Amino acid sequence: MLKINELKASVEEASILKGLNLTINPGEVHAIMGPNGSGKSTLASVLAGREEYEIEGGSVAFDGEDLLELDATERARAGLFLAFQYPVEIPGVSNINFMRAAVNGKREHEGLEPIKGKDFLDMVKEKAKLVELDGRLRNRSVNEGFSGGEKKRNEIFQMAMLEPKLAILDETDSGLDIDALRIVSEGVNAMRSPERSFLVITHYQRLLDYIVPDFVHVLMDGRIVRSGGKELALELEEKGYDWIKEEIGA
Amino acid sequence: MTDSAKPQLMDRPKTEAKHAASETSGAAFLAALDGTRSAATSAHDEALDRLPVPHRRVERWKYTPVAAWWKDVLSTEVHTVQAAGCAANPVPGLDAYRLVFVNGIFDALASDLPVHSGVVCMPLSQKGDAAVQPVDAFSPETTDWFAGVNGKYGQEGLYLRVAKGVTLDRPILVHHHTTGSGVFNALRHDIALEAHAQVTLVHWSTAASSADGSVNILTRAAVADGARLHIDKVQDEEGQVRHIAFEDIRQSSDSHAEVHTVTVRGQWVRNDLAFRINGSGAHAELNGAFLPGEGEFVDNHTTVDHRVAHCTSSENYKGILYGKSTGVFNGKVFVRPDAQQTNAYQQNANILASDKASINAKPELEIYADDVKCSHGCTVGQFDSDALFYARSRGVGLEAAKAMLVHAFIGDVLKGIKVAEVRLEVEHRLAEKHGWEVWSDYPNDDA
Ligand SMILES: Nc1ncnc2c1ncn2[C@@H]1O[C@H](COP(=O)(O)OP(=O)(O)OP(=O)(O)O)[C@@H](O)[C@H]1O
Ligand SMILES: [Mg+2]
Repeated sequence: MLKINELKASVEEASILKGLNLTINPGEVHAIMGPNGSGKSTLASVLAGREEYEIEGGSVAFDGEDLLELDATERARAGLFLAFQYPVEIPGVSNINFMRAAVNGKREHEGLEPIKGKDFLDMVKEKAKLVELDGRLRNRSVNEGFSGGEKKRNEIFQMAMLEPKLAILDETDSGLDIDALRIVSEGVNAMRSPERSFLVITHYQRLLDYIVPDFVHVLMDGRIVRSGGKELALELEEKGYDWIKEEIGA
Repeated sequence: MTDSAKPQLMDRPKTEAKHAASETSGAAFLAALDGTRSAATSAHDEALDRLPVPHRRVERWKYTPVAAWWKDVLSTEVHTVQAAGCAANPVPGLDAYRLVFVNGIFDALASDLPVHSGVVCMPLSQKGDAAVQPVDAFSPETTDWFAGVNGKYGQEGLYLRVAKGVTLDRPILVHHHTTGSGVFNALRHDIALEAHAQVTLVHWSTAASSADGSVNILTRAAVADGARLHIDKVQDEEGQVRHIAFEDIRQSSDSHAEVHTVTVRGQWVRNDLAFRINGSGAHAELNGAFLPGEGEFVDNHTTVDHRVAHCTSSENYKGILYGKSTGVFNGKVFVRPDAQQTNAYQQNANILASDKASINAKPELEIYADDVKCSHGCTVGQFDSDALFYARSRGVGLEAAKAMLVHAFIGDVLKGIKVAEVRLEVEHRLAEKHGWEVWSDYPNDDA
């Protein structure tokens, strides 16, 4: 599904990713944890195709294709989805029209006609139910004035609409209340399948109680410095990151 | 004119010096005009003599190059839509009365004048110069050289009188089309609404892609107590056309006047709007959207003159500048000493969609009353790169994502267009010009 090999990336002359390796197979859920500023969101942005980041080395294969050759739109259409740590507000563009453009973009890529109005609305209803997205939010401008939790639900709603092959969730749990965390996690779990993979970025073990990962990785200073099973998250929760820093001599 | 309405320093040109080279160009231009039209009136000669031909050191013309105006002026034989090969009605599905002018001449066959009690509507040439509203010290004709040219040579246009309490049942479409080479077209619209009368006008200008020439349109409107005037104004001129337009709107108590200007296409466009609010309780609204493309120039100069107490005005201009285009926005708001409890709002936001585009934007508020609410904002920016990336990360193409942001940006201006068919056609033409296939899929208010 995804094979990252010695990926190096920088922004504004500062190198952030310093030779990162990660392989995700179909159906797997990987969690990435790591201290603030270690490069987790940078990795997510680089994978999603944000052009401000300079790729300085390495390769990324996605579904057999060279991901780095594709622009952001093409990556999304190829089945990559990023749930943003900070979802963007777009005043004046309604959530529903935004999603119709997204769905039709994907359909165009698949050689399909634009979706019919009714089919689209049915789909919206079904997917909104999955994360219990308030109906009123659909007609409001994209994320404008949404609460922190509403924005995160909206991200997962969009993911459900687009049915990606690989979904990267960047701190989707932050800002969610206890019930919302459960609802959103159940929405994600409902989408787990042998073909679909997830890369879940989080600071808290709590989320991983709901979305149980197959692998947990620790990202530190632009590299994956440790990988393990779900018990690694528990260990981190208990001990913090210092012991790893000491072990790797950073 | 009452005493307090006497011109004050604030809205009078200081000392506008003449500039020798410009005067020579202007004089040659006028001589050429004299050679092509037979019955120019001389009533405005004196004003024209006094006014400087615009040049860069006249404040209102600082960012507006006029050199392109000094081209040959020829006469043209094409005066009907049939001869021009253009549609009488440029707006599909629009149910409106219609006055069509081709190269400044009324095309009776293509027109459909209202027959409505309390409404006098006819081409100005049939009414005669004596019937039009008198010019005063604030009139564009006495303050701006190009308007003076219109005063002297503009003999055709819309003559409209709406009697007290009468509401015209359909909008009036005033369609002007330019075709041919070296043309100069002047139109003068003279509008007066009596108390509580209501009318909606659609001013639509087109030009053939082979057209080369200039268009000078002056609209004067008196809006009496409680009357409502709504103008949707669309400029969609292909070819090499220079278009200058003046709107001189005088409002009495409790009247309501709106002008919505969308510049879809135009090589060189200058809009000069002035609202003089002379009666309390009146509301003025002026909105505009301009989206010049490669090589185009669009200039919006506006004046809102609050002369009495308890009035409101709202202004919203949005510009998106593509390619190597240039824009100008100048928004004057005067609040005179007597105009207490004025509420005046002005907003001008611009997006430079290319690094070769430029805009000169300047709000000018002169407030001489103390108990007023005036707010203004002026911004120049680029497309929001976070929003673009966000949309693209959902599989929306770059151009479609930009079109979406454009629509969101100018959506509030387009919403103000009163006639739905006009709004739709404006959207279509913008989409066509900029190649936004998906545009019509994203109406702001459908859901
Ligand atoms: N556009 C940018 N310009 C300058 N520095 C940047 C930019 N984007 C990221 N950085 C820097 O790169 C480093 C990694 O940031 P990143 O957002 O990837 O961290 P993170 O691991 O996601 O942190 P957090 O847990 O706080 O979300 C930080 O030091 C950050 O300041
Ligand atoms: Mg982050």
